[in-house]
Amino acid sequence: MYSSGQALPFLTYCRRRTIAQEETRISRYLIPHRKEIFATGVCVLIAVGINLYLPYIMRLIIDGLKEKTLDQPALIQLLSTYFLLGVVSVVFSRFLRKIPLKLSHKVEYALRSDVFGHLTQLDQEYYRGERTGDLMTRMSSDINIIRDSIGQGLLQGIRTLAVLIFASIVMALTDPGLAWLVFSLYLPMVGIFFLILRKMRRQQKDLQEHVSEVSNFCQESFAGIRTLKGFALERRRNNQFEELNSDLVKKNMLLQVSRQSLWPFMAFWFSLGMILILNFGGRRIITGELTLGTLTQFIQYLLYMQWPLLALSWTMSMLQRGKVSWIRIREILERESSLECRISNQEPQNSKVDARIQFQDVDLAIQGRTFLKDINLDISAGTTLGITGPTGSGKTLLVSLVARLMDPTDGSVLVGGIDIRNLSLAQLRGMIGFAAQEPILFSRTLEHNIGFGVVNPDKTLIGWAADIAHLRDDVEGFPEQYQTMLGERGVTLSGGQRQRTSISRAIARRPDILILDDVLSAVDTQTEAAIMGKLQPVMKERTTLFVSHRISTLRYADEIVVIENGCITQRGSHNELIRQPGYYSELNTLQQLEEKLEADA
Amino acid sequence: MKLAKRLFAYSLPYWRALALALALIVGTSLAINFLPVLIQRMTDQCLMDTARPAGERIDLLMKLSILYISIAAIGHGVRYFQGLLTAWIGQKIIYDLRLDVFRKVLRMQQSYFDQTAIGTLMTRVTSDIERLQHFVTEGIVGTIADLFMLLGIMGYMIYISPALSLAIFATLPFLFAIMFYVNAKLRNANRDIRDRQSRLNALLQEDLTGMTTIQLFNREAATVKDFDQRNAHLRSAYFDEVRWFSLYFPTVEGGQALSVLLILAVGGLLILDGSTAITLGTFIAFLAYIRDFFRPLGSLSDKAGSFQIAMASIERIFTLLDTAEEVSDPAKPVSSDRIAGTIAFNKVWFAYTEENWVLKDISFSVEPGQVLAVVGATGAGKSTIINLIGRFYDIQKGGVTIDGVDVREFGKADLRGRLGYVFQDPFIFTGSVADNISLQTPGINRSDLIRAAKTVNAHAFIEAMPEGYDTVMNERGEGLSLGQKQLLVMARTLAQDPELLFVLDEATASVDTATEMLIQDALAKLMANRTSIVIAHRLSTIRHAHRILVMRHGKLVDQGTHEELMAHDGYYRQLYELLLHSPDQ
Repeated sequence: MYSSGQALPFLTYCRRRTIAQEETRISRYLIPHRKEIFATGVCVLIAVGINLYLPYIMRLIIDGLKEKTLDQPALIQLLSTYFLLGVVSVVFSRFLRKIPLKLSHKVEYALRSDVFGHLTQLDQEYYRGERTGDLMTRMSSDINIIRDSIGQGLLQGIRTLAVLIFASIVMALTDPGLAWLVFSLYLPMVGIFFLILRKMRRQQKDLQEHVSEVSNFCQESFAGIRTLKGFALERRRNNQFEELNSDLVKKNMLLQVSRQSLWPFMAFWFSLGMILILNFGGRRIITGELTLGTLTQFIQYLLYMQWPLLALSWTMSMLQRGKVSWIRIREILERESSLECRISNQEPQNSKVDARIQFQDVDLAIQGRTFLKDINLDISAGTTLGITGPTGSGKTLLVSLVARLMDPTDGSVLVGGIDIRNLSLAQLRGMIGFAAQEPILFSRTLEHNIGFGVVNPDKTLIGWAADIAHLRDDVEGFPEQYQTMLGERGVTLSGGQRQRTSISRAIARRPDILILDDVLSAVDTQTEAAIMGKLQPVMKERTTLFVSHRISTLRYADEIVVIENGCITQRGSHNELIRQPGYYSELNTLQQLEEKLEADA
Repeated sequence: MKLAKRLFAYSLPYWRALALALALIVGTSLAINFLPVLIQRMTDQCLMDTARPAGERIDLLMKLSILYISIAAIGHGVRYFQGLLTAWIGQKIIYDLRLDVFRKVLRMQQSYFDQTAIGTLMTRVTSDIERLQHFVTEGIVGTIADLFMLLGIMGYMIYISPALSLAIFATLPFLFAIMFYVNAKLRNANRDIRDRQSRLNALLQEDLTGMTTIQLFNREAATVKDFDQRNAHLRSAYFDEVRWFSLYFPTVEGGQALSVLLILAVGGLLILDGSTAITLGTFIAFLAYIRDFFRPLGSLSDKAGSFQIAMASIERIFTLLDTAEEVSDPAKPVSSDRIAGTIAFNKVWFAYTEENWVLKDISFSVEPGQVLAVVGATGAGKSTIINLIGRFYDIQKGGVTIDGVDVREFGKADLRGRLGYVFQDPFIFTGSVADNISLQTPGINRSDLIRAAKTVNAHAFIEAMPEGYDTVMNERGEGLSLGQKQLLVMARTLAQDPELLFVLDEATASVDTATEMLIQDALAKLMANRTSIVIAHRLSTIRHAHRILVMRHGKLVDQGTHEELMAHDGYYRQLYELLLHSPDQ
């Protein structure tokens, strides 16, 4: 944004970077929830504590029954304790899950909201460089991974830690020998489990890549069906698909080799643990050094520790993935608009700015390629400028500059004599009604779309705007008139209807500056004439820039410029240009011939 | 039921493997669930039986331990094998189905593709099939395995102690009901999440695409507000999921704790009463059974409700497989060695949708080796003519013949193999340049395809690519300009050496003048000495034609040579003058 030669701006630039980084630490999203994190810890302590205590009660009962020291009231008392503690444990076991998971969804919400809010502040240049699909992935799966690693990380992380510490203490205090046995069993088990999981992840990735290869192949086959049929390639294509399909089975089976081993492996290992405890503990029971109750207690611990310990390796990889996703999210949050922000939208607006537009020696280059060169224009308030020229000559870019969709590389654009970089974006764009050639409409009601740029639009305004753009008759044919939904779930508009809706949307703002970028290319000549008739008075009241390929439209302009290869090659009124040899008069001849052909038909 | 039957038909080829899997399921269930019985013996006969000498007890303990670990090793090993076998069967069934679906789609007529979105077809071959795969392996076989596991456990429990078993089984319907309920709620929550996520994504997609519009109309704040509304909506669905999810495991834990309590209570009281039916060994064995009891129970309660979702996918897949194929091959297709090349239309009427005639009573013929140009305004029905010859669509009235034989009497593949099409939008396949030209047709070797590329002026730019003819391109042919793609596609057509050639020649604004010259030259070489029909938009192609058809609103209004038609001073002359002034020429 700043050249490195200027010392001061460079410093401010650096400072801004550091601030941005602090703003985008994940802790920012966690600190507001510190109470919930603390509560999770408390739940874990209670639930783990009880679960380690219950086997002790079991031991008392078994040993009591064995030694015949237990009478019925004592047994019932122990059972009642067991029951009560069990209920408490179940309750806390629920909160131990509910609190961190709920928290993770709150963070997810806040994060997604922040990222989206930030995205609305980024300019066209950013969106040119990013694919929508990629942004969508970040907004969904990356944020989901971050959420999971927070939720599961808290839940599993705290629990595993608590189980490890407290179970070691309790077991060591009860019987150090058996404690060693249990731990020496779990150590290799967690290790092997970790290895299998890692292998599975790799195979999963491999499989996923192959799956997308298969789906690309299908996509390509269906999209290129004309070519396939035209060259009678179906059989060859089928054979190729068969091969891909076989590989899919192979890759799937490779994954199954690891995946199917998980459960039998764990079950076997547990059996092994069971028999080792029974065997070593059993010998000591026979020699009278150990009671059956203590043995049972250890079997219960073996059982209880299984999941938290296995979750360890899973949680680790979850956190790892969360970190990667967080970096991808941070990239969005730390990105800044390339439009220089001199006046923010919050600052008081420049009082009244009139609608004269000037281009002063404007050059525009995008990624090193020059698109506009030496553009000089002076459009007085209330006049109309027509712009024409071949496809790709830079007409759309020229009008985009007025609305600051990008800034010129050199020179400046002035509105009301003020460089538009010295106006806030909100004020500048608030003055403009913009209609594009391929307009984007939103899947909402027609009314919403027309009143898109107006705060609380009333029905009269919507009706007026629709009428000017010759949309009223179409609307009356729609099932719910102005309340008709557009898009997939509603009415699909024709190209011409879309363009006319976009014109309505632009004029509904009653803007000082009206920009129409080839907005009548998809309507027929009769409708075009009708629209131009109604648009005329509206255009007269404001400064209008319109791009068009049609002489019949262009002739309404006070001045017309022809742009070829980014430069203005001709300028003047319709009557002047028609007499000059050049693009404009060629266009005129061609369209007269076309008219004749149409008239005959 | 009918659907299930059809799906079952797909598993028939693997009935041996299925039978083996079933036998293994029963066998392992019996073996693995026998292990707690051994524990009971160890406890009662070795640990607790103080009447016998210690040495003997330790020996027996050792023996039983070895038996225990052997059964465990074999049982779980076989179970692993059974898991793999089951997965393999599922994969094979899905393999067959996926192949059938893909082949079916490729057999469908062009009009089917005109009406069906590619996204829909993709859903059939990807997510619907995946759901089906899940249903076959986890659903059907998984349910059987769970059921036998449960039956095995219950059988042994009754064998060891009917009294304790009854006490525990009494809680079963209750527990199963809770789990089924929680699972149903979870599925609902998950469906809500999916719905709301996709609605949020739809909004997001639209907002990201229309961000410039949003900014131009100062709608940022309102857009963020809308987004947050759906975002919050999604969050509340997640909260719902958390509510039920956080109940699921505690329910299982509670069930286990309750069962343990029942064993301790019933067993304890019976022992205190002096009953000998229950020993401490029974206690320990039951504790082991309870651990294994809840996994199959939970997964059964989950599967019981998820069949419905899979059924919808199965139905969609079979509906696709049952769709009628309209352009079919004749029973006895005509085949000749070499087509001479007389194409004739005889009073042809055609409509894409009923009674909406695109071609009205068209008759004309092309002699072998001739180039016929078709001209007319957009929508006059020009390109329909060449679509009909290759039977992309079948006509309603009249006849289209090649060498006097109706095209419907040829086999489609045979017919299309003799025709060459150059469409207006060049389609590049993922793969090397060489493969894109040869289409891997047997008999086209490297020198043939290079010769073809040279003829149509494509050789120079192909050589300039990083790995020449071996450069791998993606589907869209990224890195090539539109003009280059068009040349590449012409090289492809020339290499196939078609007997009849059809060209949709559209002058394109975005092709630069130099490439445009190359394309025109290439077209001329393609059509040389070949019966060709060209839908002409360029003056140069019109000039190359032996004869010209003039189409207007689906009717043939005039035909003849350029000079003849100019002399008529009619519609053709106007068209020609328009082309002359068009900036694209």
